Amino acid sequence: MNYSVKRWNLPRIVAFLLLLGGACIVLVPLLWTVAVSLKTPAEVFKDNFFPKVWKWANYANAVQAIPFFTFLKNTLTILIPVLIGTVFSSAVSAYGFARFNFKGKRALFLVLLATMMLPSQVTMIPMFLMFKELGWVDTFLPLIVPAFFGGGAFNIFLIRQFMRGIPKELDESAYVDGASRMQIFLRIMLPLSKPPLIAVAIFTFMGVWNDFQGPLIYLNSNEHYTLALGLSMFKGLYNVEWNMLMAATILIMLPVLITFFIAQKYFIEGISISSAVKG
Amino acid sequence: MRNSKSERSGYLFILPWLLGLVLFTLGPMLFSLILSFSKWDIITGIKSIEWVGLDNFKQIFHDDMFYQSLKVTFIFALVSVPLYQIVALFTAMLLNMRSRGMHVFRLVYFMPSVIPAVATSMMWIMIFNPEYGVLNRALGWFGIQGPAWLQDPHYALGALVVMGIWSVGNTIIIYLSGLQGVPEDLYEAASLDGAGIFRRFVSVTLPMISPTIFFNLVMGIIGGFQYFTEAFVMTSGGPLNSTLFYNLYLYNKAFKDYEMGYASALSWILFIIILFFTLLVVRSSSMWVYYQGDEERD
Repeated sequence: MNYSVKRWNLPRIVAFLLLLGGACIVLVPLLWTVAVSLKTPAEVFKDNFFPKVWKWANYANAVQAIPFFTFLKNTLTILIPVLIGTVFSSAVSAYGFARFNFKGKRALFLVLLATMMLPSQVTMIPMFLMFKELGWVDTFLPLIVPAFFGGGAFNIFLIRQFMRGIPKELDESAYVDGASRMQIFLRIMLPLSKPPLIAVAIFTFMGVWNDFQGPLIYLNSNEHYTLALGLSMFKGLYNVEWNMLMAATILIMLPVLITFFIAQKYFIEGISISSAVKG
Repeated sequence: MRNSKSERSGYLFILPWLLGLVLFTLGPMLFSLILSFSKWDIITGIKSIEWVGLDNFKQIFHDDMFYQSLKVTFIFALVSVPLYQIVALFTAMLLNMRSRGMHVFRLVYFMPSVIPAVATSMMWIMIFNPEYGVLNRALGWFGIQGPAWLQDPHYALGALVVMGIWSVGNTIIIYLSGLQGVPEDLYEAASLDGAGIFRRFVSVTLPMISPTIFFNLVMGIIGGFQYFTEAFVMTSGGPLNSTLFYNLYLYNKAFKDYEMGYASALSWILFIIILFFTLLVVRSSSMWVYYQGDEERD
């Protein structure tokens, strides 16, 4: 609710206190996790919230006990091609929908929107069986290759909406000057569409980094695990203590939190757009 | 620019998506539909696929675990969807105050929803620990003996609901942008007519953001049916199947028991349930959703 009065009146103070209380509820679990990650194993079970001695060595031990760098390498091996595939193929498809007239375009666009509603569980099993027949199970390919085929309906939609806002005169005059469609796409449309492309790249990064069910289904051997999958699999193993697990948990959060703080505006806009699209 | 050359380039540019549609959506959908009426042996593969008609579905409707997973999912959705809406709407209204420092509050509230679900789950396993978790310690200060949360079949599902409140930031942001779309003059006009805070909320805010509420409702129900990572990591569906979400049961059938035909049938039932609720909410929306810019939509 908007308050047009800017004075500090009672409702305003109450609202502020409520927000402060809520912020504590949000932050305490995170702070506690950080605190546990810096405790000695014995201290984890004690009453003090903060550690008596801050054991930074927990982090060094955690990345060895849980093969952190192997998991990181696997995650990046999936992430980098998926980023390239998603951004490029969704931009190409978006350009096709934004700038060309062809038979069945409206119907195809409706199909595109409809696929956003399809729960992934319906295609999950046949895709697994298909990749199994291809001998791709326990490789990164099932997690990478689909990104090159359109890069996701929502991403195409996002970029297409933006491209429709770019003045047509720009590419038409380039066309008259003899530029090919591909040149127009690469030299005019792509550079002008930076904002949605950055948004798509960020969402893709988050999606791959956080993905759990995909790696769980396709990757069987320890040395192929991604960070998200690896972390959960090391829960409850005899040589992995809680303080180390929490240290690894913090390490997995850090890249997304840093990305979030640098690029907050894209997150907030992206969520607002997605609700406007689907709602 | 509609000529045959332009048409051809149009198809060429959407080709990656078209191929993807056939290879990774329509093809698998068709395959999945066939599978749901078949038996499939994981070892021998396509050679041993055997048509069994409605057997999978008949079996499902006599499967206690199927009903258990439906029960868990519906209870979770019925409790968590309204609860999260109320919490998120209330917080969004507080965050919509014009004041310095609001920006920082928004960041704090939104932060948990970008944290990977696995990391959130690991954190909360610790927090919910009956003896040394921070939650039961905090309850202890008030003289309350906290339950065993994830280890207690009466509390495990409730624990997941509680955890979800923590990452309700996404919904808060959606409400916030909805609230910011409400024209200021409506509130002023209402105030001039003598409407108090509560009256303004009921007569201005609620009708104006009803499309947002509607969107969140649909997404919340769909989300409940796709809930997976937290249940898998934190409870594996236990104790005593008290957190056996539908999607988790489907996963177990497919990738633990390798009953691919049975699991495909389950996935189609899931699809129909989601479709039903989406259409139900979409249909009923005309009765209570007010679109301010209806005529602007193309």
